[in-house]
Amino acid sequence: MSKTNISIADFILMKLIMLGILVFCVNNLFAAEGGPCKDYGDCDKFKYSLNDMESLQRGASTFLNYCYGCHSLQYSRWGRVAKDLQIPEDIFFENLVFDKSIKPGDLMTGSMPKEESAKWFGVAPPDLTLVSRVRGDDWIYSYLRTYYEDASKQYGVNNLVYPGTAMPNVLMALQGNQKLVCKEVPMLAKNGGEKRDDFGNTITKEKCGILEVEESSGELSKDEFDKLIYDLTNFLVYVGEPAKAERERIGWYVIFYFLIFTALSSLLYREYQKDYH
Amino acid sequence: MSEVIGKMFGWFNSRLPIVNTFERHLSKHPVPSKVNFWYLFGALASVVLIIQIVSGIWLIMPYSNTEEEAFSSIEYIMRDVDYGWVIRYMHTTGASMFFAVVYLHMFRGLLYGSYQKPKELVWIFGCAIYLAMMAEGFLGYVLPYGQMSYWGAQVIISLFGAIPYIGESLELWVRGDYYISGITVSRFFALHVVALPLVLIALVFLHLVALHEVGAGNPEGVDIEEFLDDDGVPLDSVPFFPYKVLNALVGIGVFMTVFAIIMFFFPEGGGYFIEMANFEEANPLVTPEHIAPVWYYSPYYAMLRAVPDKLGGLIVMGSAVAILFVVPWLDKSKAASIRYKGTYSKLAITLFAISFLTLGYLGTVGVTEVRKTMSVICTFIYFSFFLLMPIYTKYEKTKEVPKRL
Repeated sequence: MSKTNISIADFILMKLIMLGILVFCVNNLFAAEGGPCKDYGDCDKFKYSLNDMESLQRGASTFLNYCYGCHSLQYSRWGRVAKDLQIPEDIFFENLVFDKSIKPGDLMTGSMPKEESAKWFGVAPPDLTLVSRVRGDDWIYSYLRTYYEDASKQYGVNNLVYPGTAMPNVLMALQGNQKLVCKEVPMLAKNGGEKRDDFGNTITKEKCGILEVEESSGELSKDEFDKLIYDLTNFLVYVGEPAKAERERIGWYVIFYFLIFTALSSLLYREYQKDYH
Repeated sequence: MSEVIGKMFGWFNSRLPIVNTFERHLSKHPVPSKVNFWYLFGALASVVLIIQIVSGIWLIMPYSNTEEEAFSSIEYIMRDVDYGWVIRYMHTTGASMFFAVVYLHMFRGLLYGSYQKPKELVWIFGCAIYLAMMAEGFLGYVLPYGQMSYWGAQVIISLFGAIPYIGESLELWVRGDYYISGITVSRFFALHVVALPLVLIALVFLHLVALHEVGAGNPEGVDIEEFLDDDGVPLDSVPFFPYKVLNALVGIGVFMTVFAIIMFFFPEGGGYFIEMANFEEANPLVTPEHIAPVWYYSPYYAMLRAVPDKLGGLIVMGSAVAILFVVPWLDKSKAASIRYKGTYSKLAITLFAISFLTLGYLGTVGVTEVRKTMSVICTFIYFSFFLLMPIYTKYEKTKEVPKRL
């Protein structure tokens, strides 16, 4: 009897030591590191929808009209984009391809010479084929919406997600003039609700660094602009991996196949196991 | 007709041990009748090896091993080659799954004493496979020539420079250039697709031949060879075909489901299987903000960083792998399986597993003071597990091992 007691004590001791180590680890290891969206804090979440052809088409149109002047998509081909986005080739080439010498099989190598552009901007505008895979889609979606007026910068704007960015706010005419402002915001109590004083009035405090667009300074409303950036980001996710939608579609069939495979082989295995059990 | 085929087969069989080899290694080969899921990872590792070889052969066809085209040829595979993305993701997922499966396979070995007499050589060949895999994985990671390929290779190759006297010339010899360049890529390509696969296949062959000579183990640590039937077949065994094959097939089904989920839905593995920075072409002028190895090397990377001195770090890292080879002589226990070993062994292996996982996490994140201290502690536990093994396995009280399965 006493023997069992000792081994139980050992067992409990072991679990306690393990628990101690675990608590220590959890407390110390996961110290926060600066996120990818820098001054903006947490990136805004982006959920791609690669089967929404209209969104992708609008995104492609925005890209080719506003971005392609400086940024290439050098691993992607014109004809492939038209085909994947279900845009008839004649319409695509007539409306979205501005250089008439381009053929469908050509790579989208950009329209600005790299060396010249490096002189103009300080750095050559990067190729964006894989930007969604290098930076992540949340990052792009946040970055393009967090420009703000900053007179100290070369182009009069700065960015919360990418402080000191070399890119001017190309979409300013659409978005309007966005500024960092200070506002009175409700204080939150520990339970997540708003803090109120004895008379039931909400207690507020001043918070700075809030993005606000000057009213009617842009062609689009905030929602319309967010939608525009959503479509643009969606297009960049597509260009980053054109096979992504097909990959996720085929994936279900493959998984289904292996589930059936597993079920059948385990039935067979059980049958044979009867031989020796 | 069947007579002709029978005659032809007879002609071959009397000149080549076809039936004998087949029966000895595949069909009649006796395996313990009672094992658990831990015993599936060997079979799974061979499945992944085949996946890697086949997908690798297909990847070689469109890949270009030059400085100018290496990166863009990968994108060519991902975009312009029909189902090129399937082949590539199969290979990248396979690489991570290979290590996952092999780590579990090795841990099984430690849990159930799969290295104990007479299985020492099986274990040693296994360790050699692991070492060859680490080299193979590293060489392969350089080939896409992304930022992490470049800077990862930079960190690893510069380790050679820490070796006294010959260090710098060795570094230059490995790299083939004063900095990592197309020359490095093309030689790594040759090693990755020809040299190391040959070594790996040879070692896997030896691993299996040695295993079939001494017989597979079981979670009880029972020697099934002690009780034989009239034909000399162990009583507690079943023939490999169909019993073990069917068992493995179920495991393969589950494994391939997981494989497919990763491959088709999370091929980047949250940046742990394919790092985000590797989607940017190698640029010698820009160092990435945060250089981290792929997850399967991160425990050793954490050990490397735990030691302030570069040469010291290299020695610690090398010893961490080297010490695995001598485990058969460190374990003095009468019991093979953890089920019959004493409390100290159980405590030791638990602490070892926790510290290895913690090191794995630490190797993927930036360094802070607390994390550095943790790395030192975990490295210390890692080595203590092995170095103290002769003591705690010798003096602890073990339970009696049963005779039969």
